[in-house]
Amino acid sequence: MKKRRGIREGNPVITFFLYALTAFLALVTVYPMYYVFILSISEPKAAAAMNVYWIPKGFSLDAYKALIGDSEMWRAYLNTILYVVCTTILMLITSVMVAYPLTYKGLKGRKYINMFLLIPMYFSGGMIPAFLLITKLGLYGHPLSQIIPACFSIWNIILVKAYLSSIPEGLREAAKIDGAGVFRILVDVYLPLSKPILAVLAVYTIVAVWNNWFSALIYLPKTDWQPLQLYLRRVLVEDTKQIQEVMGPEMAQEMVRKQMSGAQMKYAMIIFTTLPVLFAYPFFQKYFVKGVMLGSLKE
Amino acid sequence: MKGTKKVFIRKRSPSYKDKETLQLYLIMLPVFILIAIFAYGPMFGIVIAFQDYFPGASFFGEGVKWVGLKHFDTFIQGKYFGRLIRNTLVLSGLNLVFGFLSPIFFALLIDQIKNLKFKKFAQTASYMPYFISTVVVAAMVISFIDQDGIITKFLSAVLGFPNKNWRVEPSAFPITYTITNVWMNFGFGSILYISTISSIDPGLYEAAKIDGANRWHQCKYITLPGIKPIIAINLIMSIGSLLATNSDLILLLYTPSTYDVADVIGTYTYRLGIVSGEYSYTTAAGLFMSVIGFALTFAANKISNKLTGYGLW
Repeated sequence: MKKRRGIREGNPVITFFLYALTAFLALVTVYPMYYVFILSISEPKAAAAMNVYWIPKGFSLDAYKALIGDSEMWRAYLNTILYVVCTTILMLITSVMVAYPLTYKGLKGRKYINMFLLIPMYFSGGMIPAFLLITKLGLYGHPLSQIIPACFSIWNIILVKAYLSSIPEGLREAAKIDGAGVFRILVDVYLPLSKPILAVLAVYTIVAVWNNWFSALIYLPKTDWQPLQLYLRRVLVEDTKQIQEVMGPEMAQEMVRKQMSGAQMKYAMIIFTTLPVLFAYPFFQKYFVKGVMLGSLKE
Repeated sequence: MKGTKKVFIRKRSPSYKDKETLQLYLIMLPVFILIAIFAYGPMFGIVIAFQDYFPGASFFGEGVKWVGLKHFDTFIQGKYFGRLIRNTLVLSGLNLVFGFLSPIFFALLIDQIKNLKFKKFAQTASYMPYFISTVVVAAMVISFIDQDGIITKFLSAVLGFPNKNWRVEPSAFPITYTITNVWMNFGFGSILYISTISSIDPGLYEAAKIDGANRWHQCKYITLPGIKPIIAINLIMSIGSLLATNSDLILLLYTPSTYDVADVIGTYTYRLGIVSGEYSYTTAAGLFMSVIGFALTFAANKISNKLTGYGLW
């Protein structure tokens, strides 16, 4: 019996078990978001009873209608978009600005530059000295406190440098013979070739800035410049801002009349603010995978 | 190579090389200034751990009150020191075991799935939590383990646990924290393992199969040795960050009723430093923890170099 096929393909019972386990894990990762989604679009009464599990009970967008009237959320949304756009663009620029010169093998002082870049990867001042520095620079409470300290990353510089170093030096020499200077070579030769790495960098930065809340918690005491995630923390986690305050008095009455629950409002808010990320993630994930690969090559 | 290039450039013009160097440095300069200010600046700020710093004072020079190791003494003898160390070790320890093993486990599992479509789907699904913000994840967890939340209801239906708000229950915190952390990171953490496994020569498996190796043998003698270097490096890094818990998530999940089991150095520093303004004391506490963390990385690297032959440096 044992030598029936010569090559063992594995016990089918175990194979089935492994497939079932994988399916279970996939369900566990996806279901929480799905659950939040179906509850947010269910009939308010069913949602209040919290007994919606697999398919939405009824259909109602009332929770979303109530949300749209929340001007503070829109402000936070815009703030986040502002931070994401500015930080990402600056991140690409700063990374290339250091990575490109380092591809010149004969650059004087390259050894010292590398040391200058490596030290902060192992040591940092910590939360409080960074906070005091921001305060001293007058950035406390200023929207730039979210952009400037986050607009460069030594890790990204090293990643881009590794990528640019793989571009054959012959290309640069050829451009040099044609009379191109340092800047021309950067713009006309290196930038067009570095699109793949810049895409990876952009995706990582967008996701990181979109999800960031801690630096805003520390540096932005007033709500007007706070990003979306900090707003969500106030409403969803801390409960310092009651979900009913989100809407005007009429909407609040409407909510009572329809017996809409606070939980449903919160779930609608989760979906509404995570939507951009959820839509982007199927496109983003391949860059994420690429980024992990590139990062590992550096080690 | 280097020599020939130099000659080539000198032929064109004697000052060409210098001009080029200058231009290259000019391109880098703005970013160097940023790095000097925002990466090196805070390092100098560490000196306030040895001072009685008050807001608005300068770090060096006139009027600085140097107090030596006073703040370190206060921290180590303070009543929260034991609690912080214990919580940090418990929460990081749990995370080291489960957070470190779950990606390896998932990668080995995914490797066994031969149906490509299903494999792709499971992998894509596993990355999703990584894209969702910590705040949203925390909000979901808090609502799920609240009274009448879906997890609370499930636990009370299946295991007969009481239907109550588990967020304020101290004994539940380490479990909640660990599961949430694993849920957020296992898929992303498995990417590197999965790709390394897929780069292992398929011929090895074929040969092993012909020799009668079963699934378990193949995993033990081919797959695991193949990912050993990555396991070693990840383990060193996890041990190095043993004292740097994910305070982001804790800060969102804990409540005053669970401080006793949830408070770690990051959250403590935030409450006492940023909120209450005890800058010198919290800087000292943070410095103490990072020094130990660095020593741990160093030791882990040394041990790994000895045992497996792989290390960070």
